[in-house]
Amino acid sequence: MGLLAPFNLIYLASLGALVLIYLRARSRPTLEVSSLILFDEVAAPVASARLLRVDLMFWLELVGLGALSIASAGPYLRMPAPADHIRRHALVFDLGAAMGARDGNLTRLDLARSDAFTMLAQAPPGDEFSVIGYALEARVVHGPSANRDSIRAAAAALKPLDTPGRAAALSAALMRARDADTIDLYADRLPPQDLAAGAQVQGRLRFHRIGARADNLAIVSLDPGIVRSSRGSCVLRNFSRRPRLCGLEIECAGAKVLRTAVMLDPDAQAVVPFGPLQSGGLVSARIENDDPLAADNQRWAYAQIDAPEKVLVVSPDAGVRDDLARVLLAVNQNFIVTAIDSSKFKPADEPADISLAVMHDFYDSRIQAPSRLYIYPNSTGAGFGLQGAVASAELRDRAGAGDLSRPLQLGPARVLSIAPWMDVHGSGIAAGDPATIPLAALGRDSAGMVGVIAFDLRGHLLLDPDRLDALILTVDLLKQLTAPENLQIVETGSYVTVPAAGVATIVAPDGTRRTLSADSNGRVRFRAEQAGRYGVESEGPDAAVFANYFDAAESDLNAASPAAPETARRAPPGAVAARWTSPRPLEAILLGLALAVFLIESALILRDAAGWRWRHA
Amino acid sequence: MLEARAFEPDFLKRLDRLVLGIKRARTQRAGRRTLGRVQGSGLEFENFRDYTEGDDLRFLDWNTLARHDQLVIRTFRPEREIEVTTLIDTSASMGLPAGDDKLGLALALGAALTYVAMSDNHAARLVGFGMRRGAMKLSATDFHRRQESYPGFKSFVTAMGCAGETRLGAAAGELLQERRARGVVIVISDFLVSPLDYEEALGRVLAAGHEVKAVHVMGERESSGSWPPGLYRLRDCETGQVRDVALGAQAAAACRSRAAKLAARLRDFCTARRISYTPAFGAARFEEIVEREFPRLGLVR
Repeated sequence: MGLLAPFNLIYLASLGALVLIYLRARSRPTLEVSSLILFDEVAAPVASARLLRVDLMFWLELVGLGALSIASAGPYLRMPAPADHIRRHALVFDLGAAMGARDGNLTRLDLARSDAFTMLAQAPPGDEFSVIGYALEARVVHGPSANRDSIRAAAAALKPLDTPGRAAALSAALMRARDADTIDLYADRLPPQDLAAGAQVQGRLRFHRIGARADNLAIVSLDPGIVRSSRGSCVLRNFSRRPRLCGLEIECAGAKVLRTAVMLDPDAQAVVPFGPLQSGGLVSARIENDDPLAADNQRWAYAQIDAPEKVLVVSPDAGVRDDLARVLLAVNQNFIVTAIDSSKFKPADEPADISLAVMHDFYDSRIQAPSRLYIYPNSTGAGFGLQGAVASAELRDRAGAGDLSRPLQLGPARVLSIAPWMDVHGSGIAAGDPATIPLAALGRDSAGMVGVIAFDLRGHLLLDPDRLDALILTVDLLKQLTAPENLQIVETGSYVTVPAAGVATIVAPDGTRRTLSADSNGRVRFRAEQAGRYGVESEGPDAAVFANYFDAAESDLNAASPAAPETARRAPPGAVAARWTSPRPLEAILLGLALAVFLIESALILRDAAGWRWRHA
Repeated sequence: MLEARAFEPDFLKRLDRLVLGIKRARTQRAGRRTLGRVQGSGLEFENFRDYTEGDDLRFLDWNTLARHDQLVIRTFRPEREIEVTTLIDTSASMGLPAGDDKLGLALALGAALTYVAMSDNHAARLVGFGMRRGAMKLSATDFHRRQESYPGFKSFVTAMGCAGETRLGAAAGELLQERRARGVVIVISDFLVSPLDYEEALGRVLAAGHEVKAVHVMGERESSGSWPPGLYRLRDCETGQVRDVALGAQAAAACRSRAAKLAARLRDFCTARRISYTPAFGAARFEEIVEREFPRLGLVR
């Protein structure tokens, strides 16, 4: 016997109110009179001495209200299921990065699997199982099936991803398991308190906590600095309650830059400076210690090649030209920036061998460059169409940052239609119109990289410290436009678009291979779910994608679990026999009882009313 | 409040034609001469008599002396002043039932009778009686003789409240302790006490030589027994005693019967003792009681 919402038992207080009303009704009101002499001849009433008289209406009301109150608390009875009853069980596995942490020779996911297989072996034949995994998203790995072998195979094929396990994904997983009689959740940390209630699986959810506390070292970030100019830095963090000595090795383009050991205080982080680098290229940092979670022990960054590159900036506004030149030099001080007034621009003025063209409030298809950035374009161009203009726009979300905590007010913007081969990197709304409009996009056409920014930069927007998101969005686009074509550095969990021709083979960091067909725009798109290097091999030039992983919550293998939710019961170890019971909700019975009681009461009232009419009408 | 009605000019105008019905006081020899040195205090001329030594020379008839050289004294009819005391019950029972305004009716009747008494140049006063803190307390006005001073009663009447037990015997005792001249005592009460109490009280006042008039006040609900039906716990407002009753049609009839019996007993007692008995049942009938019932029953003429 149990209650799904025991707090609703507070409604039983209505019974007290009913009793009070009853007692008040049966108590005699006191009437003060001038003298009892006047009432000497009035007969005394025949009164019952019983405290509670037999008052059918009262008892019916009491039963009806009681049934409704208890029903609102969601009572259920856990009864042994009949032998011929086919039960459904859902095995829900956390596939977050922490489940890949090693505990001896096994990972936490291996331990979870082992638990699940034990339960699978003890389940009565005929019971159906399903396998659901979640990390960034929930995924039904195997639908309900009584075939134990296929269930075992599906569970064995699960791999932890180098991404954090999101609460929304867990909620989605529980919702997908809602039809099951029992839901066994295997995770290394307890779910949030209200999750089971939100997914409506109270009373059926059993939580299996996997793994013991473990120490972990992680690389939080890696900044390569500017080649031959400024130092880079690597931030390390100790997720341990004791000091740890951390060995760190940093390489750039295959050459060792730094090898050092850093003593990290408990639960502290340290910044390790290095450089300045003498040449650009791929920079990697690696923790040499052996710790349970390997995904956050290596990180990559790209240092711009120290070679002069020509950049053309065309704009009708001198202020914008000046601002863009400053930003470009901040991105890469080796840029040679040529700024031209658009009203005076002639194609003949275009410098030769420019690597990036930035056009503000201007469009000229004759400008050829491997990378082009169109800002506040005044004409339809490659990859975008011009649909109109708005007096002001609001930036709501930005790639890499998600929804902004506070929308950024921008100036005039142009409403663009973005081609399917471009990825939107920022969007928002126009003033007075709730419809979302793209504000920044990036893609690759046959001529090279194309970026577009829909809002105007006039009025020194990029240098306004109160509107930093506009600068970050612009710098992000510039960096991606000037990055090497065959090298991308992303965060795990993000989608990667890589130029490819024909059929491309993606080689994951763990060596698994899969093939993808390039789309009509000559690119393949996949999600980087493992930390490390992804190789993309196709008929065109090969490319490499480096996926970095770090999540402060997931990497903390000592993380204190939130308070255990009442509805997610810890499964008692070994209590297998008791598991094969099914909760029988009692709400329907109680509601039926209340309904019957109120019907009887209505019938009695009708009878009394008829009798009164007969006597008085 | 009903008592205010007793001070309204149009009502007082109608009272001007009424005279208090006094029997025993009138049996004193009207217009008798006052002999000796003490002259009648009235202004009405009565007779002449010879001067005797010691007579007040202010009453010497100087015209007769001048014309006939005789000393003659003019005598005057003495003032026939009767003290009228209106004794009003202000016990707690006069405040219930609340809607019946028994106290208002009693005060209004008392004030009206006082006004009528003053129209005949009698000295009249109002006295409220009731138990206060375990002792009988009489709240009395001064005697007023002229109708012009009648509004002076208004503050007394409007300030009167009801509380305490009804103790007619104690009230009569307190009144008689004043040892005033014989006069008229009008008792206005609901007489919701033991008959022995009011019989003793009225008997003592009679024995003191006063002419006694009883005005029996009852509320409309009390006399008709029209209580809301249902089971009730009745509480006597004076004694605090409680009693459970079932009120309804039968109870109403029983109440009516009981009230009628109480009134009949009081009336019989009054008749036997030559006390004027006037029932005044229902505040709504105030003017009818004053203008019709009082004359009909001889309380006023």
